[in-house]
Amino acid sequence: MTQTRAPRELRVFGLICSLAFAFPGLYLIWRNFTSGADPLGLLLANETLEPFWRTVRLAVLVSLSAAGLGTALAWCTTRTDLPFRRLWRVLLPIPLVFPTFIGAAAFIRTLNPGGLANDMFGSIGINETPELRGLFGAWFVLTLFCYPYVYLPVAARLRQLPGSFEQSALILGDSAPQAFRRIVLRQISGSLTAGTLLVFLYTISDFGAVQLMRYDTLTRAIESNYLARPPMAFALSLILLIFAGLVVLAERSVSRRLPEVKSRRASQPMTYMLGRWKAAATALVGATLVFAVLAPTAALVDWAADGLLRTQRGGRPLTIDPSKVIEAATNTLSSSVVTGFVAIMAVTPIAFLVGRYRDRIGRMTHSVVIATFAVPGILIALSLRFWTIRSGFFGDLLYDSMALLIFAYVVRFASLAMGTALVAVKTVPDGLHDAASTLGADRWRRFRSVDLPVMRPGLLAAGGLVILSTMKELPISLIVAPIGFPTLTTRIFGSFEDAFVAEAGIMAVVLVCLSALLSWFLVLRRADHL
Amino acid sequence: MTRSAARGVKIHDLEHSYDEDPVLHGVSLDVATGESLALLGPSGCGKTTLLRLIAGLERPSSGSITIGDDLVAGDTWVPPDRRRVGMVFQDWALFPHLSVAKNVAYGITKSSTRDAEVAAALEMMDLAELADRMPATLSGGQQQRVALARALAPRPGVLLLDEPFSNLDTSLRIEVRTEVHRLLADLGITSIFVTHDQDEAFIVGDRVAVMRQGEIVQTDSPQVLYHHPVDQWTAEFVGTVSVLQGEASSGTARCSLGSVAVDPQLDGSVDVVVRPEQLSIAAGGDGEVQSIEYYGHDSMIFVTLGNDQLRVRCGPSTNFVRGDQVHVTFNSDRALAFKSE
Repeated sequence: MTQTRAPRELRVFGLICSLAFAFPGLYLIWRNFTSGADPLGLLLANETLEPFWRTVRLAVLVSLSAAGLGTALAWCTTRTDLPFRRLWRVLLPIPLVFPTFIGAAAFIRTLNPGGLANDMFGSIGINETPELRGLFGAWFVLTLFCYPYVYLPVAARLRQLPGSFEQSALILGDSAPQAFRRIVLRQISGSLTAGTLLVFLYTISDFGAVQLMRYDTLTRAIESNYLARPPMAFALSLILLIFAGLVVLAERSVSRRLPEVKSRRASQPMTYMLGRWKAAATALVGATLVFAVLAPTAALVDWAADGLLRTQRGGRPLTIDPSKVIEAATNTLSSSVVTGFVAIMAVTPIAFLVGRYRDRIGRMTHSVVIATFAVPGILIALSLRFWTIRSGFFGDLLYDSMALLIFAYVVRFASLAMGTALVAVKTVPDGLHDAASTLGADRWRRFRSVDLPVMRPGLLAAGGLVILSTMKELPISLIVAPIGFPTLTTRIFGSFEDAFVAEAGIMAVVLVCLSALLSWFLVLRRADHL
Repeated sequence: MTRSAARGVKIHDLEHSYDEDPVLHGVSLDVATGESLALLGPSGCGKTTLLRLIAGLERPSSGSITIGDDLVAGDTWVPPDRRRVGMVFQDWALFPHLSVAKNVAYGITKSSTRDAEVAAALEMMDLAELADRMPATLSGGQQQRVALARALAPRPGVLLLDEPFSNLDTSLRIEVRTEVHRLLADLGITSIFVTHDQDEAFIVGDRVAVMRQGEIVQTDSPQVLYHHPVDQWTAEFVGTVSVLQGEASSGTARCSLGSVAVDPQLDGSVDVVVRPEQLSIAAGGDGEVQSIEYYGHDSMIFVTLGNDQLRVRCGPSTNFVRGDQVHVTFNSDRALAFKSE
């Protein structure tokens, strides 16, 4: 309320950021009309429309099942007398630490000859092991690893929701299902739609899982076309971009009409007695955990062990080169930490412009950054790749460089840090600044001694989110990473695409462990800042 | 702690607005060195804005502010960090990430004497034992003392306090304001403090400036303010009154109380304004007791007399009950009266 005008340097920075963040998307659109092909013809060709419908079908199916599963799990673990529900609450978010393509890889690997599940089926006399692929495979894997996007916000909302609402409904004559539909569903609708949107966007931008499951969605078609037929890849990208944009706009207009609910701490939580449903509820939670946590973990451990213990198992000995694992792990860690750092550096000034100064340029930049959330990674990768191939000066400067890779990661994931950074800026009360001013602190000292320490936990959590997502990123790493810069994800993925890499299983375990550790230290432990 | 080099504050014709919305109109005020001035007014009257303008947290649209001999706003602009004013905020605004001692040390720039000065400030506010505690672990009263210690530690020439007692519960508030009153007097520091509570203003302020809708209505000692308010609104704002319709001519006004002495310059219809302690009550008469509020140390009796509602202050041992017929008399030399509107 004190300073009304933002410092000029900050506004200039904001302007540069909005251009940088908007650039990949704008470049894609522009190239559609300058690539020499007939964009409208391509857009309406069967070759483009078929992958589009497959993307739609998969995204709708995954969103529906993840929304249903996530909500059911959230309700069972927060609102019932389900046994061991505190343990389930800790375990149920775990699937988030698996990159979906690694989850898919684990399932495929374990069902193939030599895999754990294949052996188990064999030992009980089933030689025709079921195959996991196509629409069903992609749907199965994405649902298993995406439901926490719904489960987490809905469970959080349910914990806040006072039980007195439902108790009033029950006293007024509702049955439990009626009360759920008329009261609870209305009250969680905001969290539910927000979580489902995440699942939807994740699904349409997913590349690794659909590629491994051989299901031809837009992302897979883009990847297979971008070298041979760039105009086709551009047309497919434009469809994906428009679709993602429309979905976000639709969600906005829906959620704006949802009842605004004040979040309060529940004083008297509501606990339903499950009675004869207890077994069914336990089975649901148990099955989810078996398929989404236990099975992929066992499959990964088996895969890693296979590389190490091949000789004991009587196979041809494989040379394991630990330096390859270390190289990939180091590359993954260093690039994602740098990305997290750069993202915070980019996002914090924007958060200041919006949160502290209510600046117009700040608001515009904020919207641009938030909008990049909907842009699938493969589009950013494609756009930057083609830009550096064609552009003379910037091409020479950035082609195949680390800087370009970091820039691509930051554009992809900075939006994850934006909201948290904005909250961090707003947690610094105006009064603290006023107090520091009257005690003789100038602007720089106020920033150093008041803003930064108060915002630090929030900013660290924001950086953690970015690091975590960058570590698991696949398409950008595949397309933009400089030659000779293998990351864990590209190596593991490569082991399926090209020749078998003995280290892939170990790398997968390393990646999942890193991701689990970081999730715990940077995100979950500080969950109150999110 | 040694005495601060207290400085006076002169405010001339200050105007201020938020987004075209004027909040101060031509405010002028002169606070003497070492004086304690209370800014009293209802919420939204602009008193906090005036305080923030003095601190430099807002920039006035026009007018000037002088602290000591330095012009700080007007033809020049001195930012808050160079004004050397101390401020205690309504929510105390303690830095949540710093210990009590570090909060108090924040404003002391000279590092050679810092430890000694922090220790002295903590000692003065009786906080020595809490030096290493974090603000979130302190009670309201303790936080309030830390805020005061922090504001005083750099030895400001002027101390500004924004509703300093409003976040404390009632019993603590009374205790703390007595403490603060004594401290300000002992230090001899110039202080300006904002309040909406008349008791607080009268207790802590050597003088009280009453504000209303962005203007200062009256600046006087509590006694003058109470007995000679400039208008009826001020009279009501600084204490309980009963207002009676009356007709004035040549120094007396006729009203339901009979004839009372008023300002001889008044003529025609007036509102006669009487304080509860200017009335006394006896059994038998035209008035009827409506209700009685018993406070312990005294009591207030509400009486209907003709068309007027009267409030009469009585001792703690009155025995009237609702419905009693009573006679009310005016027992002061002269009543306040203002021309009817």
